[in-house]
Amino acid sequence: MSARADRGPGPGSARPAPWLAPAVLVLAAFYAVPVLDVARLSLSDATMVRPATGVSTAALRAILTDPALPQVLGTTLIFVAVNVVALQVLGLMIALALVRGERRGLRGMTAFRTLVLAAWVVPGIANGLIWQMLFDEAPYGTLNSLLGYVGAGPVAWLSDPRMALVSAVIANLWQGTAFSMIVFYAARRGIDPTLYEVAQIDAAGPWRIFRSITLPLLRRAIAVNTVLVSVQTLNTFDSILALTGGGPGRATEVLSLFTFNTVFYNLDLAGGSVLALLLFVLGMGMTLAVLAAGARGEG
Amino acid sequence: MKTTILAAALAPALVLPIAPSAAQELIARNRVGLPDAPNTLTFRLTSYDLYASDPATRTAFEDLFRDFIAARPDWKIETQLQTGNIGQEQARLLQQTQAGRGPDCAMIDSSQLALFKDTGVLQPMNMVFSEADVADLFPYVREAVTNEAGEVLAWWWFTDLRVLYRDTSVVPEAPQTWEALREAGLASAEAGREGLLFNGGRWEGTAFDWLAHFWAQDGQLVDEDGAPVFAQGENREKMLNALRFYRDLVDSGAAPRRVTAITDYDTFNAAAAAGTASMFIGGNWQYGQLRTTLPEDHFADWEVSQIPGPDAESRATGTGGWSIAALSSDPAKRQLCGEIAKEIYAGPGNAAQGLLPTSAAIYDQFDTYDGPEYDLFAEALENGVARPGAAIYPEISNQIQIMLGDVLAGTAEPEAALDAAGRAVQAAYDRQ
Repeated sequence: MSARADRGPGPGSARPAPWLAPAVLVLAAFYAVPVLDVARLSLSDATMVRPATGVSTAALRAILTDPALPQVLGTTLIFVAVNVVALQVLGLMIALALVRGERRGLRGMTAFRTLVLAAWVVPGIANGLIWQMLFDEAPYGTLNSLLGYVGAGPVAWLSDPRMALVSAVIANLWQGTAFSMIVFYAARRGIDPTLYEVAQIDAAGPWRIFRSITLPLLRRAIAVNTVLVSVQTLNTFDSILALTGGGPGRATEVLSLFTFNTVFYNLDLAGGSVLALLLFVLGMGMTLAVLAAGARGEG
Repeated sequence: MKTTILAAALAPALVLPIAPSAAQELIARNRVGLPDAPNTLTFRLTSYDLYASDPATRTAFEDLFRDFIAARPDWKIETQLQTGNIGQEQARLLQQTQAGRGPDCAMIDSSQLALFKDTGVLQPMNMVFSEADVADLFPYVREAVTNEAGEVLAWWWFTDLRVLYRDTSVVPEAPQTWEALREAGLASAEAGREGLLFNGGRWEGTAFDWLAHFWAQDGQLVDEDGAPVFAQGENREKMLNALRFYRDLVDSGAAPRRVTAITDYDTFNAAAAAGTASMFIGGNWQYGQLRTTLPEDHFADWEVSQIPGPDAESRATGTGGWSIAALSSDPAKRQLCGEIAKEIYAGPGNAAQGLLPTSAAIYDQFDTYDGPEYDLFAEALENGVARPGAAIYPEISNQIQIMLGDVLAGTAEPEAALDAAGRAVQAAYDRQ
């Protein structure tokens, strides 16, 4: 008997289709079918009280010409962009601090990690309510009272349109940083420690080590994390719903919340489906752009 | 003899643990009645009564439900809780009902009742409610729960209204007009209080409470066909008057800027308890909450009065509340649903929570309604206005919330904000 026969059939003779079929079917049932159904509804006149009666582009035209859409998209762009950048920076800082603390044997690193992760498991609605209490602008509001002790404030956290968006970003950062931290922590732990030992022998400083070893080797993790937090942030609406409801006016109404309001206030299922598709396209576009940028960087 | 004594001694030990557990089994987290009862009614309810967080309210309703189901041993009620997100919950309820997956009986917010009526999902409950019962309802309630054929399609079991609360140690006299309210707000601010508090954030309460000022001028949100007319003709001027009045309250300091972030009535209770508030526009149910929250001497300073109007004779207040309706066509289930509304909620359920009944007779039936505040509530109800029975109302409310937020935050002028709201509502109406 030859050695090849002992190892079984080679890769060229493999038949992956039967093995992949269950996964493909599950993905199709739970992802592709709903997306296709949303696409069908977006080309209909369906409302929450009336089923679709035919094919129509009226919803598409109505949504794309809605005067509120540019403001909503602008708010969404700011909310997502600031969050994605800040989530990466904060997550990376905490992850590197954790690794450094563990390497030096500092006490409390596990408690610190748990504390950061605790925010991540809080549901979005609860997150919004927690921050609503903290941002309360009443004379007895938590944050304004603390600021008052040091002679600062009060701050119009939620009643000023610009500040309300900042407050929504803060609430999202508090909850979302833990996820970025986990991704970067795992990636940083995966870097060969020999590289750092060699760098130390070469008397490289911390900044040089970060720039020449840590950052390049975290590039893939940064790309993956960018995709994940971008999509997560784009879909965020529950914490904003609880924190500001999208107000004052439309100051904090992001695209996902606008979609929710279109369906549940307007009862406009077709219009909501158009917006859901827009969310899908934006999310997919961001993902492809990041992956393309990552591929260019590696090439 | 020994056997008898032993049996007598053991009997309580054997029976007593069983009796309470059997009683408890009648009320579970998702069921009322015995689990093996042959007939089942599914009932979707809010979390403010049988499953209320307040122990006294919960106990009162558990007793009512226990007596109700004990008289009907062949039935069990499978309960389904709604969350506090009224718009989403009611839309889901309607969608499920139309798809044949809805409950047999459900609580429907009074603001959504017209939508449910229009879609034809409500089933008559005339076998429970007599003509005299219907005749005793307040007119706007009677109109909302019946159709042209005289069928009782829902039972609006309590109503509520908005009033002006004031701390008489700061504001001794009840303001009767917008101008007097503004002056009182400024005087309060000068006294170190917050002035007038009201809902101004992005939620239904903001639109509903503010609409009292529009309705006080006889403004109309929709025409007879349910088409939006609030941004046209005389209604437009009335909208602008009310908008400018609110903007002036904030700009002048008679109301704090933080009102644009207030999205619940509990904020007012908290401010009253903290001693920072002097006036707020709140719901009638808050009177009882203040009574239990504030120290007795502090509570004695608080009084209620009608919401001021543009002049003392022009008053209005928004009236809301919840109804119970049958969604099943099964006559036995329709009857049981009606009986739940009549025997548990309308009457004893009203009295247990101090909620305002929709039938005049119930006010005389229970001692709960002997307090002087109920005289004021009854007087204010004469100026009560219900939300229009039109499917476009939720979007009108949404746009009013946006309009008020923009105007109070200073990001839009009243005219531009109203025009934007009018266009958005018209576009939504055209697509409905």
